[in-house]
Amino acid sequence: MPRFAHPLSPTVFLRRNAGKTVPLIAVISLAVMLVQSIIALINSIPLSIQTIYRYTDRFLGVSPRLDPTLTAVFVKDLTTNPPVELERVILCRGSGAQVKSIVGKWPFAVMGFEKDDLEYYLKRQGYKGIIGRRPIDGEPEMMVSTPVAKNLHVQIGDILLKPDDTDNFSRHPVKLVGIIQCDRWMMVSNKKYFANTQPIPIDFALIFAKNPTEQTKYDIWAKKKMKGKFAQLFSYSEIEKESKQMFEVLYKIIDAVIGILVIVISIMMGMLMNIYQSQRLVEFGLLQAIGHTKRQLFKRVLSESVIVIVGGWFFGLIFARLMLMLLKAQLMDPQGFALDVGDPMAMSYTAPVPISILLIAFGTIWLRFRKFDPVAVVERRIV
Amino acid sequence: MVKATDVSLIYHDHEREVFACRDINIEIKEGEFVGILGPSGSGKSSLLYLLSGLKNPTLGEIRINGTLLGNLSDVERASMRIQKFGFVFQQPYLLGYLSAIENVLTVNPKLIDRAKSLLDDLGLSEKMNRHPHELSGGERQRVCVARALINSPEVIFADEPTAALDHDNGIHVVEMLNRHRKNGSLVMVTHDPTMIEKADRTLVISNGTIAGM
Repeated sequence: MPRFAHPLSPTVFLRRNAGKTVPLIAVISLAVMLVQSIIALINSIPLSIQTIYRYTDRFLGVSPRLDPTLTAVFVKDLTTNPPVELERVILCRGSGAQVKSIVGKWPFAVMGFEKDDLEYYLKRQGYKGIIGRRPIDGEPEMMVSTPVAKNLHVQIGDILLKPDDTDNFSRHPVKLVGIIQCDRWMMVSNKKYFANTQPIPIDFALIFAKNPTEQTKYDIWAKKKMKGKFAQLFSYSEIEKESKQMFEVLYKIIDAVIGILVIVISIMMGMLMNIYQSQRLVEFGLLQAIGHTKRQLFKRVLSESVIVIVGGWFFGLIFARLMLMLLKAQLMDPQGFALDVGDPMAMSYTAPVPISILLIAFGTIWLRFRKFDPVAVVERRIV
Repeated sequence: MVKATDVSLIYHDHEREVFACRDINIEIKEGEFVGILGPSGSGKSSLLYLLSGLKNPTLGEIRINGTLLGNLSDVERASMRIQKFGFVFQQPYLLGYLSAIENVLTVNPKLIDRAKSLLDDLGLSEKMNRHPHELSGGERQRVCVARALINSPEVIFADEPTAALDHDNGIHVVEMLNRHRKNGSLVMVTHDPTMIEKADRTLVISNGTIAGM
């Protein structure tokens, strides 16, 4: 004996009327996909900046202003009675280079270490190995990590710093001799080469907390301690804060755009649902005339709407994820840019889409049923 | 069974009162076949909707098995309609996305065997899985008859069930309603006297009142 699903179950209607159901689900999916993709892509800008400079979360960088001899004074200040236990202080020399970001070129430090310090630094950043070799002391040589190599499209043997390149300057051409296998962005050279070629002998101090999870606590303490002194501090917490501030206005604009989008889509969907419900007046009238209550019919139509809306949302999230994965693989990863395909903030921005459509659908259906007279249908006054 | 006492139904048309039914007194007994005959616009359909609880009378009262219809809530009235009444309307209204048997089951989805048996008796055994657009007008109305009969109703209300059919098909539908109603009453509205030749009695409606029996 063939089995029959309840003929009035919401899924029976939706399945048998796929021509109406699928476009509704598709419109909601597209709206969700649009919102999630926009937010995830916008978020990729500060995320990429934070990713580029994430290496700074392992230390506090201090450089003196005006007077090179101040480095030693600052190091003494910053290692006296710190709030957390410190593990190491490295004095290095630095030079400037540039990397490509989504919003143009960004400055990046090339740090010159002594041999032992370089090993400690690489270990601290969690490197997994080196392709090629380490720079030789005093030679114009350097290493970059994998994401930097991707970003600059360079390979071992390429010249990264040049005398005729104002953005990536060095007195002699500096050759890439090694690729550091690490997710973090790094450009390192040897201290002796920079010391020999830079006219002003300025040492940068990198101060490492023993426990990396306590680095931020130390950074905050150091910032207070150095207030009013001729010192420039580099810490990840500051970079994170500044990158957020930088995009504050942009996020306000995005909020307004998403808000308008949600309102437009909700009204559009509400109107579309109203049209579909209007086409079913004979069905509602007939069922009510033969004895189905308004409440039963309302519940059924509402269940159908919930399935369509939640289904549209769910598929929208999946489609958005697939599209973001494609964008990440094809556009972002080859440049070394960051994109979070499962960005929770982007997903949360999609929530108003189904909620507002549901509210409008609920209101439309409720108004439709409130004054509905089945006799008008069976008497053929409304067909 | 169904008793209407001094029932009137008044419409307001531009502040003018129009009586669709006026001072109707009628009693439908158990198992009785009552024909309601009258020209178009005479108020016979309105009377049917009053007796079945689809409309509320402006004046008077209607009792079903002694229960005053006016005292029932909308939900109780709907429950009474689906459990005790069967309906056949002028047009063979069916849900287009459901098969013939599924349309019958919209009244009571548990009675699959009874639905099959009814459709079989009504000559639709080969077509019970077809959708309305695959059926002729007469076949569709027979599906509506099966839907009206599925719950073995105490009263079947038929509002010109033959209006959309040719004469032979109309006679056939009425015969089937009459044959399958068992002990249930049948109240049928029509403007064609040949359709209610087998009725136990016939009420003639004119201008909203019973003009003759």
